[in-house]
Amino acid sequence: MSGVVLGDPAPRGRLLPRFIVFSLIAVLVVGALGTRLFYLQVAQGGYYAALADDQRFVDVAVSSARGLMVDRAGRVLVTNVPTYVVKIRQADLPFSRREEVLQRLSTLLDIPVAEMNETLDRNPGSRFEYIRVASDIPVDVAHVLTEDHLSLPGVQVGVEPRREYPYGALVSHILGFTGAIDPDDFVRLEEKGYLQDDSLGKAGVEAVYETELRGTYGVEQVERDASGRRLRVVAKPQEELAGNTLELSIDVDLQKEAEKALRWGIELAGLKRGVFIVMNPQTGEVLAMVSLPNYDNNLFARGISGEDFDKLLKDPSRPLLNFAINEQYPPGSTYKLVTGTGGLADGKITTDSTLRTKGYLSIGRYRYYEWNRRGWGPLNIYDGFGHSSDTYFFQVAGRLGIDRLAYWAKQYGFGARTGIDLPGEARGIVPTNAWKQDVFGERIYPGETYQAGIGQGYDSATPLQVLNAYAALANGGKVFQPQVVRRILSADGTVVRDFEPKLIRQLDVDPEVLRTMRVAARRVVTIRHTYNLVDLPLVVAGKSGTAEFGNRDSKGRLPYHSWFAAFVPKDPRMQPGDPSGYRAVSGTDSELAVLAFAYDSRTKGNMATEIVKYFLQIHYKVKKDLRNFDLLKRANFYNSQGGN
Amino acid sequence: MGAIRLQPPRAAAWTARTATAVWNVFDIQLVIYALALATFGLLIAYSNSPDGARLAAGGTFSRALMWLALAVVAFTLATAFDYRWLRTFSWPVYLLNLALLVVTLALGSGVGGTSRWVTIFGVQFQFSEIAKILTIIVLANFIASRGQRVGHLSTILGAGFVALPPLALVLSQPDLGTSLVFGAVLAGVLFMSGASLKWMAIFAAAAVAAVPVIWTELLHNYQRQRILAFLDPTNDPTNSGFQVIQSQIAVGSGGVFGLGLTHGTTGTSDYLPVSTTDFAGAVLLQELGFVGGLVVLLLFTALLWRVMLVGWRSADPFGLAFAAGIASLLLFQLLVNLGMILGLMPVTGIPLPFITHGGASIISVAIGLGILQSINLRQARPKW
Repeated sequence: MSGVVLGDPAPRGRLLPRFIVFSLIAVLVVGALGTRLFYLQVAQGGYYAALADDQRFVDVAVSSARGLMVDRAGRVLVTNVPTYVVKIRQADLPFSRREEVLQRLSTLLDIPVAEMNETLDRNPGSRFEYIRVASDIPVDVAHVLTEDHLSLPGVQVGVEPRREYPYGALVSHILGFTGAIDPDDFVRLEEKGYLQDDSLGKAGVEAVYETELRGTYGVEQVERDASGRRLRVVAKPQEELAGNTLELSIDVDLQKEAEKALRWGIELAGLKRGVFIVMNPQTGEVLAMVSLPNYDNNLFARGISGEDFDKLLKDPSRPLLNFAINEQYPPGSTYKLVTGTGGLADGKITTDSTLRTKGYLSIGRYRYYEWNRRGWGPLNIYDGFGHSSDTYFFQVAGRLGIDRLAYWAKQYGFGARTGIDLPGEARGIVPTNAWKQDVFGERIYPGETYQAGIGQGYDSATPLQVLNAYAALANGGKVFQPQVVRRILSADGTVVRDFEPKLIRQLDVDPEVLRTMRVAARRVVTIRHTYNLVDLPLVVAGKSGTAEFGNRDSKGRLPYHSWFAAFVPKDPRMQPGDPSGYRAVSGTDSELAVLAFAYDSRTKGNMATEIVKYFLQIHYKVKKDLRNFDLLKRANFYNSQGGN
Repeated sequence: MGAIRLQPPRAAAWTARTATAVWNVFDIQLVIYALALATFGLLIAYSNSPDGARLAAGGTFSRALMWLALAVVAFTLATAFDYRWLRTFSWPVYLLNLALLVVTLALGSGVGGTSRWVTIFGVQFQFSEIAKILTIIVLANFIASRGQRVGHLSTILGAGFVALPPLALVLSQPDLGTSLVFGAVLAGVLFMSGASLKWMAIFAAAAVAAVPVIWTELLHNYQRQRILAFLDPTNDPTNSGFQVIQSQIAVGSGGVFGLGLTHGTTGTSDYLPVSTTDFAGAVLLQELGFVGGLVVLLLFTALLWRVMLVGWRSADPFGLAFAAGIASLLLFQLLVNLGMILGLMPVTGIPLPFITHGGASIISVAIGLGILQSINLRQARPKW
């Protein structure tokens, strides 16, 4: 036995206390564990069972069909079409296989692995949620992915509706588009029931009427197994309700006519940007609104690629912007409506009084030129407005003073958002002493008041603001809030909400003053200031504008935008007893006000008037083609300071 | 009561004894309790296998079955093997032990930058489990060699030197939990073998005093976070608090009688990310309830009692020390693993013997129990 036991062991009996202590420790440990077990499972068992049920039964949202949009004639502007999407549930995708699976998806879907990785990593939720990595994939790819699902763990192909805009770019600025919810938005909207992989309106009407279009998502109470698979639907406490249908005030036919006229003018003159708006002055409804360049919102609906989106964002002519409302420009001579109205209303001028127009007015050593550098001698308000005489309106503005001028501008809605139901509207600027004090720390100079009287200097307005002012002129002084949606219908067609015209204010002026200004606006045509409109067998009243902006060229000339804001009486045909059309425009029954705006338009004549003429020619089906191509030739006809 | 006088000559004993005689000294209770616990482990492996493919080859259940079969073989071989030969091989065994751990460090793989498993022929194996048994053998051998000097300080120091290298190697994997097991085994063996209580207390106090240093210098960030998460499970950046909460929900929802086998919500689960390994006990407690949990606790208690008894009855200080090591190992792992599942202990990667799936754990426990049985068979029992 030697080599097995070396020496005597410690006497066993002396170790007995240790044996007992060791046993006691063991009993203590087992006792503690048993007690805790009793506490958790017996004493608190019900509590934990309820917690476990909470995990087993989850509320799952069921998306509702997004609302449709139709134009005022019921033409469908957007539909939902089923498409295939690819989603990944990270919990089902072992980390070790992620690279391989994404690589394969990348080949099939033509999406860089890095992009999918980023989408997955940016997801703030749990690993058990489905995250969309590709939308609107081709049917054959969807089939390949479905058949191959065993080698693509965690990848799911689903069917989801996608927006389709049949008219594409024609109405894209109005309709906007939807897109996948941003993680930032999701954090904000989660409590409103938005889902991780939800989409929402991002621009245009899609964004403004998001809550109407979204409808009500349903809720299903689902029992899940341990791996999170759905076992069965236990209950459905909330049925999903389709979103409402929006009936827009837009008339697609009119929109097409407007687009056609604007595109013709813009492209012929080699310009980049232009705006055309048609409105019903009796209601404030926008019948057409075109901003060029435009974009196809179906690109977004199909899940725009980063590359395409970048191209749109970096395009210097900024096609994503709706220039009718998103930007503000000097309104030029169209603003003389404000000055004239104010002068008459405040009694600074009357229909009988005249002001002497000349080559220029002087203030100190500064000269303020007439646009033709000659003037016309004494003019009344009709002829002053008709010739668009700068020196005439310098004097009216001077008599009014900047703050009264601003008062009348604001009466017409300048300097404030019109409140149209489209996002991102610019506010415009109406300079006042207080405003200039605020911004530049000094008061308005007299010369600046002159400039403000002809829509130059600090004056700045959106095309929609200018049109809305002329619409108020046309309807007898009612400034409406412009609208692009006229009714909200439920999915089954019953009217949920009818948009009444929203009157912002009635102009604080004698109706006779506005009648005078309407006749003066007709005089613009009859005096042959807008000579190209004379041939048109329609009663058009309006005001052109040539608004300088930017920097002088080598000859000291400024680039300029062309404006024309106009309206036609309810019956625009020339009446035999009213050859001048003055009687026709004296009324307040106009149902069509239009505005054309051409950005940076150096042409031989005021091209905005030509665009409006072409539109009216198309719209009222004038047989003879009256277009004046010569007028759109590129030239800087304008070499003085002021407006025409 | 000299051990030598009590030992019958080895060869003669085996030829002289009949099978009945062997059977008479065979500790059948030890085997029954162990097999009963292993059966619980198999049930949980079955429950943890994916629905519809529970019996599939290569699945959790079939692998558990295979490992149990191998464990039975290992137990039988260890039982037949005369444990006294282990003393001859003590130092080679020790070197083998260290070699396995070094190999693990060099070649091993694990979760999150650790190296705990070595893959042999496609099977993952955790050598640190085997290292536990091998360390106990070497420790027990050392204690036995101390004879009457077992109460001296040098015994504690010597045992420390034996246990330290494997402990350090495991710690650098890094695997704090398993290295604590080595510490517990060391303490248990020394205590039961009659080491100086005074010096043990001093070393224990020193260890406690070293905790702040260990916290800042030795612990890895994830380990600190696990402990912090244990102290406040709701405030946790790494999700180990999530596991603690989920595990308590699973256990609590089991109630008195449990949800029934395979009816747990944790299964192959979302809620309990590592349910097939260290949290297998949570599945057991949820599916078999308080009653099942109590049975498992009682089986562990009974098994521990038989282990202690084998040691106490052995006339050989090696037997006592070895039994103390095995008992400490089982008790400590039971405490830490179940304690973690029940929210009493921080999250560590310590398996629950018999229940946690994993070949190394059950094989090493089987070898340990086999050696105990071998000790038992080869004693002429002193009066109890």
